[in-house]
Amino acid sequence: MRLLLIAALLLGVAGCDAARPAEASSIACAAGSIAGQGSSAQATAVTAWIKNYQVACSAATIEYTAVGSGAGVTAFAGGKGNFAGSDSALTAATRPQAAARCGGPVLHLPMVVGPIALAYNVAGVDDLRLKPATIARIFAGTITSWNDPAIAADNPGAILPTTPIRTVHRSDSSGTTDNFTKFLTATGGSAWPAATGSTWKAPGGTPAKGSNGVVAAIERTEGAIGYVEASYARFHELPTALVGNAAGQFEALTDEAAGAQVAGAKAVGSGGDLPLALDYGTARPGAYPIVLVTYEIVCAKGAGPLVKSFFSYAVSPAGQAAATRLGYAPLPDALRAKVAAAVAALS
Amino acid sequence: MHYRDAVPAVLEATRNLADRAVRPETPARLRLWTALVVSVAVALFAATSALMAQTQRQVRIIGDDAAPQAATASDLYFALSDLDAQVARLVLAGDDDSLAATQIDALATYRDRGTQIDADLQRSLTGAADAAVARELLDDLAVYRERVWQALTTTGDRHGFYTQATNVLHLQLLPGAQRLREASQERLDRAYARKQTTQRWGIAVALGLGAVLVGLLLAMQVWMARRFRRTFNPALLVATILTIALAGPAAVVFAVQGRKLGDAREQSLTPYLALSQARAISYDAAADTSRYLISGGLAYYKQDFTTKSACLTKGGACGPGGESVIGGLPQVAAGSEAMRRWSACQRDHDKVTGLADAGRRDEAVAALTGIRRGDAAFDFSYFDDAVGRIATARQAAFDDAVHSTRTLLAGWTEIPLGVAVLVLALVPLGVRRRFAEYR
Repeated sequence: MRLLLIAALLLGVAGCDAARPAEASSIACAAGSIAGQGSSAQATAVTAWIKNYQVACSAATIEYTAVGSGAGVTAFAGGKGNFAGSDSALTAATRPQAAARCGGPVLHLPMVVGPIALAYNVAGVDDLRLKPATIARIFAGTITSWNDPAIAADNPGAILPTTPIRTVHRSDSSGTTDNFTKFLTATGGSAWPAATGSTWKAPGGTPAKGSNGVVAAIERTEGAIGYVEASYARFHELPTALVGNAAGQFEALTDEAAGAQVAGAKAVGSGGDLPLALDYGTARPGAYPIVLVTYEIVCAKGAGPLVKSFFSYAVSPAGQAAATRLGYAPLPDALRAKVAAAVAALS
Repeated sequence: MHYRDAVPAVLEATRNLADRAVRPETPARLRLWTALVVSVAVALFAATSALMAQTQRQVRIIGDDAAPQAATASDLYFALSDLDAQVARLVLAGDDDSLAATQIDALATYRDRGTQIDADLQRSLTGAADAAVARELLDDLAVYRERVWQALTTTGDRHGFYTQATNVLHLQLLPGAQRLREASQERLDRAYARKQTTQRWGIAVALGLGAVLVGLLLAMQVWMARRFRRTFNPALLVATILTIALAGPAAVVFAVQGRKLGDAREQSLTPYLALSQARAISYDAAADTSRYLISGGLAYYKQDFTTKSACLTKGGACGPGGESVIGGLPQVAAGSEAMRRWSACQRDHDKVTGLADAGRRDEAVAALTGIRRGDAAFDFSYFDDAVGRIATARQAAFDDAVHSTRTLLAGWTEIPLGVAVLVLALVPLGVRRRFAEYR
């Protein structure tokens, strides 16, 4: 009998194996139609979210029109659409209008981080490091060649060419220009004399229309440097500069470094309202300072189940991954959890 | 002593042993029974173990090499088709910032597909049979990428460069990928055929030699019961039960693993490969709509879409390259919404080309790139989601079948040897006391 038992055990063992993990991830769908309008900077991410959401949820229809942050918020405050996309927090002037439209609190939901890259095309240079003051002087036109002592000081040991610097900027109005000039104003000090704004105001440089135009101009111009959304630099395989932060480090543009900058931002709202005060002069180690955070502006009450469901997906790891694939940086985990909680509390 | 002197002694000893074994006396008969049972047992257990090991190897070859190679070749064809579809989107979007979402999505997908193609070709390079074709494809891919780069960066007319790029893809890259796919499917056929032969031998050995051994053990039992006036020999009885417990399940394992893997191929892998082909055709067809707009209304692309769409909806040849989808979507994506969703893509194509023909190009581009329901980009994603779900399920089902076949076979190389040790110990144990009676 013992022998039979051993034989039975042997046969039984043959059928055993480790269990394999199951995978499951789905969107909790809601039905209906909603629309939003606003920021162009988040349009690519929102488009991907809408496509994915509508594919998964056949009873939902969502539209987003990229009309720019200002126009989007104004339209929302005027009662148009179910949400607005904005690259900046509501101003003292627009907040009461938005609150009146909502009949109660209006919320800022940070939904995506858009890092801005400094893409360049310089012979023999593949590891360019620039402090904010140097960047300001380059774009202000006060540094004119790549072997300038200020650039050499940022890049000890590097062999820099005598090539003239050719800066490239957007010729059209853009949130990227607005955020880049805000960064220059905050960190460049006296080296940056021009004003901030959606249109480029500094003298000189090569204007190019749209992000594609900026990238194309950099690609075909030796000695060029320009600011552009990270996705364009990444997908065009252009080298990007490491940017100095107040901690004294030069940080490469990575999702983690962009996330560190956002994680260091101060939340200036209360409850589920999460506007952030970005500190471009942050001394937070590991932070890449030139980032743009874009918000969804929604009513805390009366947002409706589809708005809630759609933004639940957008802020989920799957939604953030969809945005990351397109060149955005994901929200830091702690902030993502706060946004998810705020979305869950929408009614 | 010289070895030549020892030869007669060895011959004499062998002759004596044989004489003793065949002599009608009881101890000699007992030795004969024992020798026969042990010999057949060794043959059964050793052959079963060896055939199980061979089957395990062949399942591993199918699961780790032949099927993944077929999937890789199929994936390569699909990725190449989509690569060109993304380039078409990029060329169409141009520098228009209002199409930024299309540009970025197309760039991201172009990059992903490029990585996928490089990985597929890298895997093909490691196999001696595919290396030559893979090297040719790498050369053609370099030419293709150069044309794409020219198409995307020129400040002049992009159409000419894109025409060259898509020609390289359709006339050189896709036929090369098709050759890789056919070769990999032939290898898969051969791997299955070899495994089936082993399976047949396994069943024959387990049942044939198993029956012989059980028969010998029972006959020996009966002979010993009569000769030694005992009801039964417990050790021989256990050896008989162990033999049945091994040979029966072993035959079942040979048969079940064959059925599992056969069903997995028939119901999962082959339909997966057919669906992958249909998916590649659908991407290429959808890109024809973009190509039509890029070319300023070249009738060739409209005709090409019609041919490919007909092959998707009804089956048959999809173009001059020999590619085909047997039975079309109703067969390769049966029971899904793929066919209904493809019909929407057909309507979108007609709408977009109609708008372009009417000179309303901006509206045509908006209808092509939009993500509202009823826009081409959304409807194609919706269609692809249906196809992708089935493809994922089929791939997972095949992987599960290979996994469960491996689980079924796990330990079956050792089990026959373990049982052999027991049986080979039990038989001498059963006859030892009977021999002792004659000392």
